[in-house]
Amino acid sequence: MASDLVNITINGTPLQVPAGEMIIESARRIGVEIPHFCYHPRLSKEAGANCRMCLVEVASPRKNPDGSVTLAKMPKPQTSCSLPAGEGMVIETETPAIIEARRGILEFLLINHPLDCPICDRGGECPLQNNTLHYGPPTTRYVEEKRHLPKAFPLSEHVVLDRERCIHCARCTRFAEDIAGDAQLGFLKRGADMEVSVRTGEQFTSLFSGNTIELCPVGALLSRSYRFRGRPWDLMTQKSICTECSNGCNIKLDHRAGRFVRVNARLNEDVNEEWTCDRGKFGMDYLSGPDRLTTPLVRRGNRFEAVGWDEAIRRVAEELGQAGRKSAFLGGIRSSNEDLFVMQRLFREVLGSSDLDHRVGPSFDAEPVIGVGQGQVARAPMSLVELEGLSLFISFGCDMAWEQPMAYLRVRKGWRRGALTIASVARHGTAEDERPSSLAPISAVRVRHDEGGELQVALRLLGEVLRQGGDGTAVPAELAAKAESAVTEQGADAEAVRRLALTLFEAGKGASDGRSVAVWIGEAARTNRQLPDILQTLSAALSAAGVHGVVQVPAMEVNEQGARDLGIAPTWLPGYEQADPAGRNSAEILAAVAQGDIAALWISGLDLATRYSDPAAAVRALESCPFLVVTDLSLTKTAQMADVVLPVTSVAERNGTYTNVEGRVQRFWKAYDPPAGVRQEWRIAAQIAARLGTEIHYASSREVLADIAARVPLYAGCGPDALGDGGVRWASALAGEVGR
Amino acid sequence: MGELRVLFEHRDVPGIERMDVYESVGGYQGLARAVTMSRADVIGEVKTSGLRGRGGAGFPTWIKWSGIPADQPTERYVVCNADEGEPGTFKDRELMLRLPHMVVEGLAIAGYATNSSTGYIYIRGEFLESARAVRRAIDEAYARGYLGESVCGSGHRFDLHVHMGAGSYECGEETALMSSLMGERGQPRAKPPHAPLPVISGLWQRPTLINNVETYATVPHILARGGAWYASMGTERSKGTKLFSVSGHVAKPGNYEIELGTPLEELIALAGGVVGGDLKAVIPGGSSVPILTAEQCRGVKLDYESCMAAGTMLGSGGFMAFNDRTDIVKLMHVTARFYAHESCGKCTPCREGTRWMYRIFQRITAGQGRPEDVDLLLSICNNIDGRSYCPLGDAASWPIRASIQRFREEYDYWIEHGRSPVGDDSVPGIG
Ligand SMILES: Cc1cc2nc3c(=O)[nH]c(=O)nc-3n(C[C@H](O)[C@H](O)[C@H](O)COP(=O)(O)O)c2cc1C
Ligand code: SF4
Ligand code: SF4
Ligand code: SF4
Ligand code: FES
Repeated sequence: MASDLVNITINGTPLQVPAGEMIIESARRIGVEIPHFCYHPRLSKEAGANCRMCLVEVASPRKNPDGSVTLAKMPKPQTSCSLPAGEGMVIETETPAIIEARRGILEFLLINHPLDCPICDRGGECPLQNNTLHYGPPTTRYVEEKRHLPKAFPLSEHVVLDRERCIHCARCTRFAEDIAGDAQLGFLKRGADMEVSVRTGEQFTSLFSGNTIELCPVGALLSRSYRFRGRPWDLMTQKSICTECSNGCNIKLDHRAGRFVRVNARLNEDVNEEWTCDRGKFGMDYLSGPDRLTTPLVRRGNRFEAVGWDEAIRRVAEELGQAGRKSAFLGGIRSSNEDLFVMQRLFREVLGSSDLDHRVGPSFDAEPVIGVGQGQVARAPMSLVELEGLSLFISFGCDMAWEQPMAYLRVRKGWRRGALTIASVARHGTAEDERPSSLAPISAVRVRHDEGGELQVALRLLGEVLRQGGDGTAVPAELAAKAESAVTEQGADAEAVRRLALTLFEAGKGASDGRSVAVWIGEAARTNRQLPDILQTLSAALSAAGVHGVVQVPAMEVNEQGARDLGIAPTWLPGYEQADPAGRNSAEILAAVAQGDIAALWISGLDLATRYSDPAAAVRALESCPFLVVTDLSLTKTAQMADVVLPVTSVAERNGTYTNVEGRVQRFWKAYDPPAGVRQEWRIAAQIAARLGTEIHYASSREVLADIAARVPLYAGCGPDALGDGGVRWASALAGEVGR
Repeated sequence: MGELRVLFEHRDVPGIERMDVYESVGGYQGLARAVTMSRADVIGEVKTSGLRGRGGAGFPTWIKWSGIPADQPTERYVVCNADEGEPGTFKDRELMLRLPHMVVEGLAIAGYATNSSTGYIYIRGEFLESARAVRRAIDEAYARGYLGESVCGSGHRFDLHVHMGAGSYECGEETALMSSLMGERGQPRAKPPHAPLPVISGLWQRPTLINNVETYATVPHILARGGAWYASMGTERSKGTKLFSVSGHVAKPGNYEIELGTPLEELIALAGGVVGGDLKAVIPGGSSVPILTAEQCRGVKLDYESCMAAGTMLGSGGFMAFNDRTDIVKLMHVTARFYAHESCGKCTPCREGTRWMYRIFQRITAGQGRPEDVDLLLSICNNIDGRSYCPLGDAASWPIRASIQRFREEYDYWIEHGRSPVGDDSVPGIG
């Protein structure tokens, strides 16, 4: 139906468009821009079509009693943002009546608008300003008192509301209800007194509140951190990637005079569409934070001394050279792919060490992705778009909205369409159950268990699946026995798990080729020492239930996936080739440090002393470490324990790539020069290699990436020329898919 | 022509609001006959009667009824619009209070004809007594088997629920009413050509029939005595009788049932004639319709077509007569206040325009009018009319525009002299 084409005419130009397409979109196809405020293609039309700015004149064919057809003009102008294209429609967008109508609407919008553009953040990029300039009346006829309301009313720690400027377009309220799903914004009162509001006593605590600032067509919803900090025309914009989680939102990084100013979303239909989450939107201030390091530091007794790069590099090269195989590397989950590739070359090729690990949780040996199937592609993380089309999504110990914000939005979108069922497994008292943005309220099945009960739930699920007729032939006898005994045990979650099993069978039914079920393991479950068993049990449950699915431990940090892919791991090389000999994992490395078996440790972009699953153990090990070098942006607790601290460039200060949660290699571009005295991490690694007599020569990040693409088959389709603005998923490239 | 009581035939019978009395005067015979007929034949009878919606727009009732996809396996709903918020209109209130069974019977017939098993009566929140009467009638109807499991033993199920509004005129607009009924903000929803009609997708996206109280109350008579009988009353295109709520400067304000096509003067005479002065103006169909000068009233007949031809509308039948003590500018000040207060706020022209007009009226009647204000008011009316989301915006502009066109000299007087052309004791007062 929707793909049927209809013939319409806009301003005399005939064109074919999909039946039911909104006329405002059809007009764009032929370059006719219809002014609008409330319209937004991703927001519901139910509560839209309210600003009345997009009026057009419409005539439709009408059948006469004698069978002939005449064109009947509709007596009233129609809102093109909500008018579906129908066969034979004739649209006029620039008639005198429409021009007058627009002027009238703008006059209405302006009578109560404070017109304080000179002190408004939105000034210069304001749809109300722009439309007024193009279509508005030159002066006002309004002589009455304007509406007065408190300015800059704080809705949350991030967002303020200037109710005087609001034009009541309902974009923010629709976003909150339709997209974020927390419905924290609504309208109070009616008529000219109507106002946007949170509920009494509540704050706008949505994890996605920042998007409403970008959606607001006036300066009514404003960012507290950006307020009064710049005028749009003074800002420069660079294409970048958010560094605050693994989802890799495409962002526009606005900067001024070499300093970070703000984040806006950059469109990428496959990743973040046009959204960001608040962690990213308001979390990137560190780029120009006051604590940025700008020079290498070397420990002299109890204090650090600022030194030049030559001296710092000489010192690190000396120590690493002496340690040789007894050097180790931890972290790297915030470094670029280029940094990581060169770094692992330094350790493996120059120092002869296999002791590298990016994982700092207690369950080191967990496979990154367990596909129900075999081989390399089974390790490929699923795509974000794929989430929308699932029939069942199981969030397992994962606070989705917080940990995987864009994946959360995709799952919600699939649920809203009606075909996706959600199940949520989490500990009692999970933050998710309190949060406004959460899958919990829309989960068809909710399993809540005690601390550490993840494996028990997984076994119970497998047991239920087997009892309800699942195919147990591929399940190891020992596991099947454990599962059977888990089902017989009493437990508060027994009924919920039974329903989960039923839901699983249900999801397996009408499913065709694609994966229909996904289980995402979150931080709470990742910190369970039994993670490998949990993963094995869950994937056994999926295959026993006969569903085509995947159990995934999605990456959480910005380049955690890149660190996996590029072999920052003791047992595999870049591209998941087996490492021979295998090295030691992070727990073993720290134990070896404590035993004096490792002479030099390099920690990159990771505050191990606070982030390690056992922080005290980490501190003890670091204290006994003969030589510790740390690369980071600021002097973290870990850096304070180092012998040498090397300051590195931020995402805004260089070119490079990160690989996001779905294995999409994405570029970011240099926005401004780094502070003097700060270097790129891979250049540091290459310089150290050179000092040790091995040339790892690259002229640029681009060359490093080209080399990765040439040497690592997994990334063969992700070379610098292939990536474009939106990046490429290596799994898609391997499968020969184009575009994604 | 003249007074003709069909709905009101037994209005004054003591106890008519109770089941026994209502049955004793032929009540529920229409329903009893309907359930012996096919659904199509019931709708056919309504078609023959020529009944048009009494909520204001005069839309042919049978077209709505036959638009409900009665064979689809989905749920369907029947809704009675008893929000009656139009200033000057109070007929539905009395129908529900005195003749609640007639409304219930009409709804049960509609439920049968559209194959719906659930009905809602959305009653204006202030109408507590009417709601109580309806509530009691519903209980009595369940007890007699006119509602519930098997309506009149037909096997057709029909349950009827009362829902009270919370005090919003806009919630009488059918799509806003449905939003409100579903627990959402009382704002209208999209209609054709932007979205399907309520008969296709209404309450909870299910086919929904919505009619006015009086429309439903007429149906039992049509079913009991035949569509042809009903069509024998009224004019060529406005069939049957209509209730008028007569108010203003008349001796006997109240509800009157007249045959459609009755001369306007006759209705005034029925209500005891104009008091306190000579007739100056009439608003024949509720505050939303254009005002007529006494001159224009002459010879006008009260049916849909004649009113249209005279430059106004029959509307909901809220008939207001004004004598020559009436200050038209003050009257419109009160009207403008009403619409500014009742605008739901959803769309720009109505939200901003109604408040702006009210402000201008405040200024004019405070003696601060400017010569350009009258044209400004006209221009604002033009900028609202036809551009708002729902008809409330249009309805806010029509009376004001008509009053300027027909009584402009009174505006000019206010602006020039800063006081009423009618004198200090003019009506209405402005609170
Ligand atoms: C602002 C507004 C208020 C309305 N209020 C009422 C009302 O109180 N009662 C009513 O029956 N119809 C009201 N209507 C008309 C309804 O939208 C609808 O046309 C009517 O209920 C249909 O019933 P009918 O076909 O029986 O006339 C109103 C319309 C508008 C635009
Ligand atoms: S605050 Fe902004 S987005 Fe929200 S209704 Fe007002 S103008 Fe629209
Ligand atoms: S979802 Fe992740 S990548 Fe996107 S804005 Fe939030 S923190 Fe940044
Ligand atoms: S015209 Fe607009 S503001 Fe007025 S009641 Fe209708 S939708 Fe609401
Ligand atoms: S853009 Fe169409 S009504 Fe607002």
